[in-house]
Amino acid sequence: MSSDQDHLKETDTEKRFEFKKEENSAFQAEKGLDEETIRVISEDKDEPEWMLERRLRALEQFQEMPMPEDWPGAPDLSDVDVDEIVPYIRPDIETRGGAENWEDLPEEIQDTFDKLGIPEAEKNALSGVGAQYESEIVYQNMKEQWEDKGVIFCDMDKAVREHEDIVREYFMTKAVPPSDNKFAALHGAIWSGGSFVYVPEDTNVEMPVQAYFRMNSDGMGQFEHTLIVAEENSEVHYIEGCSAPKYSEFNLHSGGVEVFVKEGAHVQYSTVQNWSKNTYNLNTKRAIAEEDATMEWVSGSMGSKATMLYPSTILKGPGATDNHITIAMAGEGQNIDTGAKVYHNAPDTKSTIESKSISKDGGRTNYRGLVHIADGAENASTSVECDALMFDNDSTSDTMPYMEIQEQKVDVAHEATVGKIGDEDVFYLQSRGLDDDDAKQMIVAGFIEPLTEELPIEYAVEMNRLIELEMEGSLG
Amino acid sequence: MSTQVHAELTADQVEQISEDLDEPEWLTETRLDAFEALDDLDMPDVITTPGREWTNLDALDYETLVDPLDYAQEKDRVTAEGVDVLEWSEALAEHGDLIEEHFGSVVDPQRDFLTALSTALFSAGTVVYVPEGVDAEDVKVRTTMNSRSLFNYTLVIAEESSSVTILERQATGDDAKPVEEGRYYSGVVEAIAGENASIQYGALQNLSEETYNFQVKRGHTSRYSSVDWIEGNLGSRLTKTSVETRLLGDSSESQIVGAFFGHEDQHFDLGSRVWHEEENTTADLVTRGVLKDSARSVYEGVQDVGREAWNTSSYQRENTLMLSDESEADASPKLIINNHDTEASHSATVGQVDEEDLFYMTSRSIDEEVAKNLLVEGFFVPVLEEVAVDELRDDLEEKVATRLRE
Repeated sequence: MSSDQDHLKETDTEKRFEFKKEENSAFQAEKGLDEETIRVISEDKDEPEWMLERRLRALEQFQEMPMPEDWPGAPDLSDVDVDEIVPYIRPDIETRGGAENWEDLPEEIQDTFDKLGIPEAEKNALSGVGAQYESEIVYQNMKEQWEDKGVIFCDMDKAVREHEDIVREYFMTKAVPPSDNKFAALHGAIWSGGSFVYVPEDTNVEMPVQAYFRMNSDGMGQFEHTLIVAEENSEVHYIEGCSAPKYSEFNLHSGGVEVFVKEGAHVQYSTVQNWSKNTYNLNTKRAIAEEDATMEWVSGSMGSKATMLYPSTILKGPGATDNHITIAMAGEGQNIDTGAKVYHNAPDTKSTIESKSISKDGGRTNYRGLVHIADGAENASTSVECDALMFDNDSTSDTMPYMEIQEQKVDVAHEATVGKIGDEDVFYLQSRGLDDDDAKQMIVAGFIEPLTEELPIEYAVEMNRLIELEMEGSLG
Repeated sequence: MSTQVHAELTADQVEQISEDLDEPEWLTETRLDAFEALDDLDMPDVITTPGREWTNLDALDYETLVDPLDYAQEKDRVTAEGVDVLEWSEALAEHGDLIEEHFGSVVDPQRDFLTALSTALFSAGTVVYVPEGVDAEDVKVRTTMNSRSLFNYTLVIAEESSSVTILERQATGDDAKPVEEGRYYSGVVEAIAGENASIQYGALQNLSEETYNFQVKRGHTSRYSSVDWIEGNLGSRLTKTSVETRLLGDSSESQIVGAFFGHEDQHFDLGSRVWHEEENTTADLVTRGVLKDSARSVYEGVQDVGREAWNTSSYQRENTLMLSDESEADASPKLIINNHDTEASHSATVGQVDEEDLFYMTSRSIDEEVAKNLLVEGFFVPVLEEVAVDELRDDLEEKVATRLRE
C-alpha cells in the first residue's frame, strides 16, 4: 500500500497510469475499477479529503452489492462491463467517450440531428464531440442575472471546491446514499461533472435552469451528479438533457440526482433522455420534500438500449406534494423500465403519478412503481395512472405497481390501461385526409401531451419532431 | 427450512401414506420424487421491496407444524346427479387412468417447496368427475381438520359441454386435538375444463386462527370453456394462496372473485393470476377485502397476455378497506402484455370508510356503529353479487356480519 501512495504523490498523472497498466497486466484480478483509479480521479479534481473518503466508501459498497437480478422482466445487465470503464472516467487518459469528429458519429445520429434542424455548434456540443461551443456565452449571461439573486449554478466539480460546506452536507448523505443500489454506489465512486444549483430563500428562478448546453463540459457527462438545494419558499425549474441523441462508445450511463426541497419551496426537474441505442442508462434520482414543499418530476425516456429509472420522492414534511409525469418510448431492441417511487412519511401529503408508455417494433416498456404510506401519514392521498399504447404484436408493455399502506386514513388509487392504437381514431383522421402514418403520429403526439406541455416550447417541439422521426422508422 | 422438515420426515413415511391409500406405483414414485426434490426447492415467491418483505414464510417452523402420519379429518361430500364425487382410493379404483393422465398436469407437483411437500404428504384426496353433457349444481365438499397438519388434494375434470358448481368449505373441527405451536393446512386444486365446459369452484376458508394455510388452485380451459374461482378467506393465522387460470382455449374465460376479512393479527397473502394464451379470451379479476385490528393483507394480481392471444379482454380490480390504524395493506396488480390487440385494465384502491357516507347515515339517526357496519357490508356487495352459489354467498355474508359485530 505504501508504494501505491508514493506513486500518488507524483504529479505526472501519465506516469501514474503507466504504473497502473503494469500492475494490471501482472494482477488480472485487479483489472478495471479499483481504489487506485478512484484516488487518481479525486486528486486530479483537487478534491478535499472527505470527498475522496466518500468515493472510496462507495467503491467498497459497489464491490459488495449484488446486481439487481431478481426483478421480474428487468433488463439484462450482463453486458455492462464495468472493467472497461477506466478509460472513460480517468481524467488523465486521452481516450474519452465522445467521437473526435462529427463524421465519426454513427450515421443514424448524424441523420437525426440534421432532421431535428439543430445548428452545427450545438450539434457538436450535444453529440459529445469534444469541441468548444458558443453556448458558453449564453450560459455566462444567465449566470450574471442569477448571481444578483444569490443563486449558485455551477458545475459539480467546482462546487465541491468552492461551496464545500453545502456540498459536504448534502452530497450523497441524505437523498441518495451509495448503499441505495449497486449503480448508485458505482456512481458515488466515480461520479464526475454534473451541476450544482443553490436557490436562496424566497427566490424565484424564472427562467428554467438548463443543463442543456453544459452536459459535455466535463467528459461525457456519463456519471454526472446533480445536486439541487432549494431553500424555503424558493422556486426553480431545472431541465436536464435534451431530446437529441447522445452518443458514447462506453455503454453505461449512471447519473445521480439529489434534490432538496425546503419548506414551502417548489422544484420542477425535467429531463428528456435520448441516449444512443447501445447505452445502459441506470440512474438514481431522489428528492426530499419538507413541509408544504412541492416536487415535480417530468421525465421522458426515448433512447438507450436499456433504461432503469425510478425518480423517487420522500415526502418528509406535512403537506408536501409530489407529482410525476413519465413518458417512455421503446422501439426495436429497447427495454425501457421506468416508473416512480413515493414515500409518504408525513400527514397530509399528496402524490400523483402519471405514466405513459409507447412500445413498438419489438420494444419493451414497463412501469415499475412504489407508493409507500407510512404509519402516521394521516390523510395521505395518492393516485397513480398508467396508460400504455402498443403499436404491434412484437412489442411488450408491462405494468408493475407496488403499494404499501400502513395507515388507515388514506386515499390510494391506482389505475392502468393497455391497448392498441384505436382503429376508429386512425380511421377518423384518415377520413379527414391524413395518411396512416400522419394519423398515428398525431394520436401519439396527443397521447404524450401531458409531458410536452410541461416542457419549454423548444423542447416540446423537439420532442414531437423526434417522435415523428422514430415513428417514420427512418431511424434504426 | 427444508432441513427442518427433513429432520422429522422420511421417505418411509411418504411410502406409508401412499400404501395406506392403495395408490398405484406411479403415484408413489411421484410423491417420492417430490420428497427428494424438497432440498432443492425454494419457498413460493413473496414480494419484497426495499426494506419490506410483504410476507415472511421463512419464519414458519414446519418441523413443529407438520405431523405427516396424523391426518385426522372429516370429509362430507355431497354429490349431484350424474357426477362422480369420490374420495381418493375410490377415485383411483374407478378413474385410475384419468387421474394418471391429469395429476400434476395443471399444478407442477414440484413448483415450490410447499407444493412439493403437499405432493409428498397429501392424505385427503377428492376427485370430481363430470361426464360429457352433464350439468351439475351444488357439489359440496366440506373438510374439517382435526389434526396438527392436513394435506389436501382435489382434482376436477369437466368433460365436453358439461358444467359443474363446486363449493368447498375448510374449517377446523370443534373436537380437534389441541396443539401448542399451531396447525398447518395445505391444499392443491387442479381443474380441467373440456371444450365448452364450465367449472365454478367456490372455496370458503375458515380455519382456526392458529393455522398456517397454503393453497394453490389452478385451472386450464379449452375452447369455449370457462373456469371461475371464488375465494373467501376468513380464518387462519397466516394464509398464502394463489388462484390461477391458464386460458388455453380459443374464446375461453375466467373469473376470479376474492373476498377477505382479516382481524387481530391475521396475515393474508393472496394471489390472483391469469395467463391469456389463446385468441378471444376474457378474464375478470375482482377482489375486495376488509382489515381490522392489526391484520395485514398482501395482494398480487397478474394479467399475462401472451404473444398469440389476439383480441384479449382482461380486467382486474382490487379494493381494500381499512378499519383500523394498526392494519396494513400491500397491493401489486401487474399487467404483462405481449399482444397489442388487447384491452386490458386494472385498478386498485386502499381507503377507509367514507366520512361523508357515514355522516349521511348518522344524520338519518342511524347509530354510528350500525352505520359503519352497514357500509362495510355494502362494500362486499359488488363481490358477493358475482358469487353464483347462493349457499356460499349467504355463508360469506353471515361470517362478515359476525366478524363485524364481535
